[in-house]
Amino acid sequence: MAFAIEFFLRRISQGLVIVLLVAFVIFTLLRIVPGDPIRIILGPMTPASVLEQTAKDLGLRDPILVQFGRFVGQVATGDLGRSFIRGLQGGSAGGSQDAAGYNPESRASVAELIGTALPYSLQLAGLGVLFSLLVAVPIGMAAGLRAGKWPDRLGLYVSSLFVSLPNIWVAVVLIFLLSAKADLLPAIGYRGFSYTIIPAMVVAIELSPVMIRAISVSVAANLGEIYYDVGMVRGLSRWTMIFKHVLRNAAVPLLNLFGAQMIGMLLGGLFVVEYIFSYPGVGMLTINAVFQRDFPIIQAVAILASGALVAINMLVDFTSTTIDRRLKF
Amino acid sequence: MTSSTAQAEIAPPSAADKQRGVTRRILARAWSYTEMKLAAAVFLLLVALTLFGPLLIDASATKMSVADKFLPPLFMEGGRLPHFLGTDQLGRDLLLRSLVGLRNAFAIGVVSVIGMFILGCAIGIYAGYRGGWVDVILMRLTDVQMSIPVIILAITILGMSRPTAVSIIAVLILASWPVYARVSRGVTLAERQKEYVRAAKILGASDLRIMVRHIAPSILPPIAFVAVLDVARMMIFEAIFGFIGIGIQPPTPTFGTIISAGTQYLLNAWWITIVPGVLLALALGSLNLMGGVLERARNHILQGGE
Repeated sequence: MAFAIEFFLRRISQGLVIVLLVAFVIFTLLRIVPGDPIRIILGPMTPASVLEQTAKDLGLRDPILVQFGRFVGQVATGDLGRSFIRGLQGGSAGGSQDAAGYNPESRASVAELIGTALPYSLQLAGLGVLFSLLVAVPIGMAAGLRAGKWPDRLGLYVSSLFVSLPNIWVAVVLIFLLSAKADLLPAIGYRGFSYTIIPAMVVAIELSPVMIRAISVSVAANLGEIYYDVGMVRGLSRWTMIFKHVLRNAAVPLLNLFGAQMIGMLLGGLFVVEYIFSYPGVGMLTINAVFQRDFPIIQAVAILASGALVAINMLVDFTSTTIDRRLKF
Repeated sequence: MTSSTAQAEIAPPSAADKQRGVTRRILARAWSYTEMKLAAAVFLLLVALTLFGPLLIDASATKMSVADKFLPPLFMEGGRLPHFLGTDQLGRDLLLRSLVGLRNAFAIGVVSVIGMFILGCAIGIYAGYRGGWVDVILMRLTDVQMSIPVIILAITILGMSRPTAVSIIAVLILASWPVYARVSRGVTLAERQKEYVRAAKILGASDLRIMVRHIAPSILPPIAFVAVLDVARMMIFEAIFGFIGIGIQPPTPTFGTIISAGTQYLLNAWWITIVPGVLLALALGSLNLMGGVLERARNHILQGGE
């Protein structure tokens, strides 16, 4: 227990610092790259004096550090702020729509926007990971167990092929074949679970090469360990050894890989795939927010995404130290 | 330069020589794979095509021609010369556009990977060699950088300004250097303990000299083999950026813009998106296959195989 408490205290404090720094980087970037949100909020016809006044009211003309301090204080109380652009109903309300002047109260809260979009993203991510496991586990295991033989080559070919298919192109090809031509599955937007399937395939094709390679390498490496030969000499069957021992030992590097690489890839993949399919998840929300200079949404997503990365890495490290107590944190 | 540095040159080359031998063995091992020869042939062919294709084809990548729009590729009914792969919605030659797009993607991929390799490895070697608080700070910096999803960073920077090849390369370097820093730091930590580094130090070589002349040559080649895979990854990012609209701006053709524009005509003129994608996938496939084989050969040799 003491081990667990010490571990989490230490890692959570480190994680908070990381998330804070990430938030600062994104926060600063948003304010130093060109593109003034005020013009989009108020529309092109607004006089310069009104623009400046609103910018001042919103605090966008204060020094960045002051703005950031205010933002952190606000987030610390659990308030992620309100969107610049999106109205309470969720649609864009920018431009001349509120000619009477900009009223922040008429905008949707960022937490609610993300809360609405997140389940869709999780559903897509979950299905995508499931699909990629279905492809990668059999191929990766076979490749690892028969290193140097044809399943190994097959693993190399499949992963080289999948990793060479750009997700944007795979998405368009699948839409063309499965949706437009064969009319098997719907593709654009979201009106039910079936709308998740093609996007999830695209996510899976992106994830599975990394998985195949990782599974085959770690299974093959374990077969070369002394404990495997010792087990065989003791008369345990090959399959007992594989399922009881090799898989358990191979799990540690796999988990590490999942934390370090896959979550980042998954996040990036989700953003792009959601955008291509107009899938109403966090990714599409964010990409639209960038084009509309909707700072509060971008900031919140950056914080949540890096927080998720840090948290998952922490859990992964904790799980692998639990599986293999020799590892230190 | 005093005699002590001259002597420093005598001691370490044995390590560097050994390393050169390892590099050659890895390359030889990789070349023994049929896949490697095949992939290299495809890759060189594509590079040659991107360089010389535009000179041989009597068409323009950017000139529009309403009379020639939506021409299918030659292998389909209705295709006609010189448009081998057909034309797009504005009558521009798709093969040429793909080749120019491929050339830009290659350039962005190679330059950004070289950049992230140099930056990442320099930071990694420095952190690993110096150790202490320098190491802690630099490694926490990689934690921070790795906690920002690439795509968020990219759309934030590129989506808000007018993207150019230079800013795209800068974003890719910024987003991907930490991996190289981590790996090279890890190897440097082990390398620092070795005899030849201690010998060089005793002989009076400066830290910078030890890092640049002795540690870097012996640890970088194995990392560089895997960087081939990253070239393909960066090319995919370049295509994604173009698709979202934050890549190199039209009229310069990029795969992303070709594919995204073609999606509107998918039902009637599917080749606009599908055919250039095949070319891109071929390029990426040859790079990935070469990278994959190099990685295997490297692991094989480093684990003591012949």
